[in-house]
Amino acid sequence: MTIDATMVGRSYAAAESYQVGREKIREFADAIGDGNPAYRGADAVAPPTFAFMLGSLALEQLLNDPELGLRLDRIVHGAQKFTYSRPIKAGDDIAATATITTVRKAGDVEVIMYETALSTVDGEPIATSTSTISHNRADS
Amino acid sequence: MNKISAGDVLPELTVTLRREDLVRYAGASGDFNPIHWSDRMAAALGLPGVIAHGMLTMASAVRVVTDWLDDPADLVEYGVRFTKPVVVPDDDAGAEVVFSATAAKVADGLAEFDITALFAGEKVLGRARAVVRVP
Repeated sequence: MTIDATMVGRSYAAAESYQVGREKIREFADAIGDGNPAYRGADAVAPPTFAFMLGSLALEQLLNDPELGLRLDRIVHGAQKFTYSRPIKAGDDIAATATITTVRKAGDVEVIMYETALSTVDGEPIATSTSTISHNRADS
Repeated sequence: MNKISAGDVLPELTVTLRREDLVRYAGASGDFNPIHWSDRMAAALGLPGVIAHGMLTMASAVRVVTDWLDDPADLVEYGVRFTKPVVVPDDDAGAEVVFSATAAKVADGLAEFDITALFAGEKVLGRARAVVRVP
């Protein structure tokens, strides 16, 4: 099967919630070379793009849908946007759900937009991540 | 944080990305796509070399704005387009990316910044914009 516009609206929840730890936040901040003190210590908040990592747990489920026929090694990340209700912080337990919002085809290339809602497991909204990816089906 | 007006420019930030930085980001983020660490795999996909994770470039770019904020929690929106890859050679020099930001609009307690990311003289991000709460 291949993805098409009839699949807009399909939603994929991450298999498990993500427990945010302050040492993971520190590791991520170190990895992006960001020494901001806000990302360290007992009251640490996560750097803005940390949200993408949590969203990728829902993306994994989307990629596992055999009806879409997508392969990670054929995907290029074209655009990324976040809107934040509040920063992610150490101690948060976060659920992620990705929903396909647009599918456009141009030859072998499928341009897919999906929106990932991040909230605490108690339902408090954290952030929305909007991603645009291109999937190239040439030679597949 | 100083008062901001449309047209103001924030201090520039230069980030040098070396192969080690890509390996570190792969580990921290869980994105182990081999195009970010293997010359062999990058070449097989027709890339000019190992390229930085777009999300690492995106993370670096917003520092121009969050370094200026008193509290990075005042960031309310941030988006980019990935328009060109940042090729990171396996040497000591690495790839130098220069980030800058200009306030495009300040109104209703929000400031919108246009961010520019230059690598080897070319823009690697398009429509890079951050919206922050300001007093």
